[in-house]
Amino acid sequence: MADDDALSQVMRALAAAPTVEATFREEKTLAVLDAPLVATGVLYYRAPDLLRKRTLHPQPEDYEADGHWLTVETPEAGRRQFDLNGYPQLRPFVEAIRAAQAGDRAALERYYRLEFQGTPADWSLRLTPRDADAQRYVVAIVLRGRNGRIDSMETLEPDGDRSLMTITWR
Amino acid sequence: MRRWSIPLLWLLAALGCGWIVLTTPVAADLTLFASRADPVAELLLEQLRSGPTTRLILLGLAGGAETERAAVSQRLTERLKVHDEFVRVANGADTLPEAELQALFAHRYRLSPTVTPERFTVDSLRAGLRQRLAELQSPLAVFQKRWLAGDPTGELLNLLKRWQGGLREPAKRLGLWFSPDGERALLLVETRASGYDLAAQRKAVTAIRAAFAAARVETGVQLEMSGPGVLATLAADTIHAQAEFLSTLALAAVVLILLLVYRSARTVWLGALPMLAALLAGAAAVDLIFGKMYLITLAFSMTLLGETLDYPTYLFSHRRATETVVDTLRQLWPTLRLCVATTLLGCLAMLDADFPGLSQLGVFTVAGIAAAVATTRWLLPALLPPRWTPPQPVAIGAWADRALQPRPRLALALGGCGALVLLALMVKAPPLWENDLAALSPVPRELMRLDQELRTALGAPEVGHLIAIVAPDAETALRHGETIAVYLDDRQREGLLTGYDGPMRSLPSARTQQQRQASLPDAATLTANLNAALQGLPFKPGSFAPFLDAVDAARAASPLRPEDLRGTLLGTRVNAMLFPGGRGWTALLPLSGVRDAGALAADLPQAESSQAYYLDLRAETNRLVAGFRAATLVRIGWGAALIVAVVWLGLRSWRRVVAALLPVALALVFTVAALLALGERLSLFHLVSLLLVLGVGVDYGLFFSRPGADPDSRRRTLHALLVCCGSALTVFGMLSLSALPALRAIGLTVSLGVAASFIAALVAARPLLTKMS
Repeated sequence: MADDDALSQVMRALAAAPTVEATFREEKTLAVLDAPLVATGVLYYRAPDLLRKRTLHPQPEDYEADGHWLTVETPEAGRRQFDLNGYPQLRPFVEAIRAAQAGDRAALERYYRLEFQGTPADWSLRLTPRDADAQRYVVAIVLRGRNGRIDSMETLEPDGDRSLMTITWR
Repeated sequence: MRRWSIPLLWLLAALGCGWIVLTTPVAADLTLFASRADPVAELLLEQLRSGPTTRLILLGLAGGAETERAAVSQRLTERLKVHDEFVRVANGADTLPEAELQALFAHRYRLSPTVTPERFTVDSLRAGLRQRLAELQSPLAVFQKRWLAGDPTGELLNLLKRWQGGLREPAKRLGLWFSPDGERALLLVETRASGYDLAAQRKAVTAIRAAFAAARVETGVQLEMSGPGVLATLAADTIHAQAEFLSTLALAAVVLILLLVYRSARTVWLGALPMLAALLAGAAAVDLIFGKMYLITLAFSMTLLGETLDYPTYLFSHRRATETVVDTLRQLWPTLRLCVATTLLGCLAMLDADFPGLSQLGVFTVAGIAAAVATTRWLLPALLPPRWTPPQPVAIGAWADRALQPRPRLALALGGCGALVLLALMVKAPPLWENDLAALSPVPRELMRLDQELRTALGAPEVGHLIAIVAPDAETALRHGETIAVYLDDRQREGLLTGYDGPMRSLPSARTQQQRQASLPDAATLTANLNAALQGLPFKPGSFAPFLDAVDAARAASPLRPEDLRGTLLGTRVNAMLFPGGRGWTALLPLSGVRDAGALAADLPQAESSQAYYLDLRAETNRLVAGFRAATLVRIGWGAALIVAVVWLGLRSWRRVVAALLPVALALVFTVAALLALGERLSLFHLVSLLLVLGVGVDYGLFFSRPGADPDSRRRTLHALLVCCGSALTVFGMLSLSALPALRAIGLTVSLGVAASFIAALVAARPLLTKMS
């Protein structure tokens, strides 16, 4: 019950931010590679449901989730737009960070079982997918943060591959 | 004993015919229009009968909240998927099922068009690996990376792109297909059976309704359904219900007329016997000769009732207490015989080996009329007491004599009128023919609109333009398809069309597959190339062993044939467009967004042992119908000539021939003019109805110009013809009120024609005879 209150408090703190700008560093550890893949770029969020992830290195890539539209821009394939409604398997991945930053607990609960640990000042939230199809691709997503700020997002995959995105606020 | 031998024989024959009729199917297809000597027509009809587009059922779920529509869509899909009669049930939720992905993956080196020798050089491999590395970076990598180790060149992605191409995907909401405005959830169902297999389609429709009733639960969602099969069953049901209702009503009316006129129940059931004999004999003859009966023959059989009811009426009205039934028949026989002979010989002209549809009409009439007249001539006297007369004596007052008074001036005026109308028709030449088959469809307009809406929203292929390849075997058809694909790619770049599909897009010919296999390097070369390509890239050594194994295995595999794909979605897609038939194998290439059919068809590449045809379905169908009509008209012309010859043989006097036949000619002119004035255009249903008018009109003319008849006899003839005309007008007048275009056409034409024939024969037959004598 105390955890639940703490989670609610964190959610309120997250929801209070109308916009967020940050840089990120993502490190992917994959079984097929000798060394982790490292990428850096910027994150931008605007309440209630715009999230943009722009990778700058090693190659530019741009992902923007706005409402139910996902826009992907890569140098090879150019700009493509997807309706998230048509690709339900993508939705949990988008909502893991977008709904979390929005403090939208209901949206998170729709896709994940939530496990909160710690205190509002230093918390971690483990998201376990509810959907069997999503479970084939991800074991859990762990968010860590302090009050209304998300500091990192770690994705754990069934084959042991994982990725850790650390976020630095500007 | 002798007295009962004829009725007994008749009963046995009727039972036999009934059994044949009950065991033969009615075909609602279009083969009746086709000339047997026309290969394009045959392909077209095969296409219309069983082509992939005829098997699609389009479903819309409207009403309720969006989430309810989506939930019903999902539940309905799950329920329909377990049914064996559907080969595809899609609501947008399914990306390819896992088994299908695995199958595509397993066959990737034979199926992917990007497999070339250059694909496996060090440079190409390195480019592929770099691209895979970039993809790993992306957030979408979780979905794709499982194929990486076996497919570093990305063949599966290419195949998936190809798989999704061809059809435009509908809009999606909540992961499912929805109309662009979100008001309808959409589903696409493909039946195993052809769209014109009405029994199977009805079963499918029932299954869908039942599944929907269960899937709907307590939501306010409504089901909308369309597609060729649904429309065909609906049309058949509507026709059936309407025909049943109207014929019951008409039958009641005829019974009432007979009862009122003759005051005898006996006239009712005796009067029905020739009609029944005609129906049974006609249908049985058609079934025995053709094995099935076309819907149009069935429609025509209804019009034939009008003529067969006349025969017993002639007998009833001419009965006099002073002579026996047999005597009356003997006196009527020369005229009756001539009436029948004209109809029979007129119909002989319809027997044409090349047009089964036309022949059926002829066979039906010949057998039906012969049975009806034989029943009247031999069965009725056997069933009637020798001196039987209708209880109500034929009461005809002085007005009959007045009506029968020759009025040469009126006759002349009528003739002049007819000539003027004919002249006006020829000079003005108004649009005479109904060329649009859709105008004859019994499907309500709002349903046609729904069909169009669902089709547009789902991006389902329309029955429009396609290329058909006829080849001795599947491989030849696929090779020819590949040649044409190259041609179409060029035309697409020129903007002549926007896209095409075809079996070779999903399954290349064995020759192409072998070329691809030959371009795969051997294990040693590939290993060396791969190792060189991996230099400087962060992949762990040994990661791509599955790739090396797969290429090695693919080199030795035998090419995939259509039969290897049985039971897979890929196989379903290929089978829909490549199938064996009467002339070997047929491959279909549906085209979309055709801008210039003429240019596309003109340079269509041909092959040595296979033939490609360009089919514009609408144009071809209309061409077939027009051809059928032209053949019918020529036959009617020959029939008319035969009728003149027979009447001359029977009457041996040109004057009397003119007296008997000129009235019906006038009546036909008036009928056509009246139809056009009512805003009708002549369809095949009008045409077969005019055939009946011709038959009935000749009878009226022959009876009114009957030689050597005393005044009493003439009054009785007038009475008989009044009853005939009155009952025909009642029956067909009712049909003309039908909302179904086909029934309306028949009803309107026959009632107008019968009335015109009666008036023309009454006014003109006698004066022509006396004036000229």
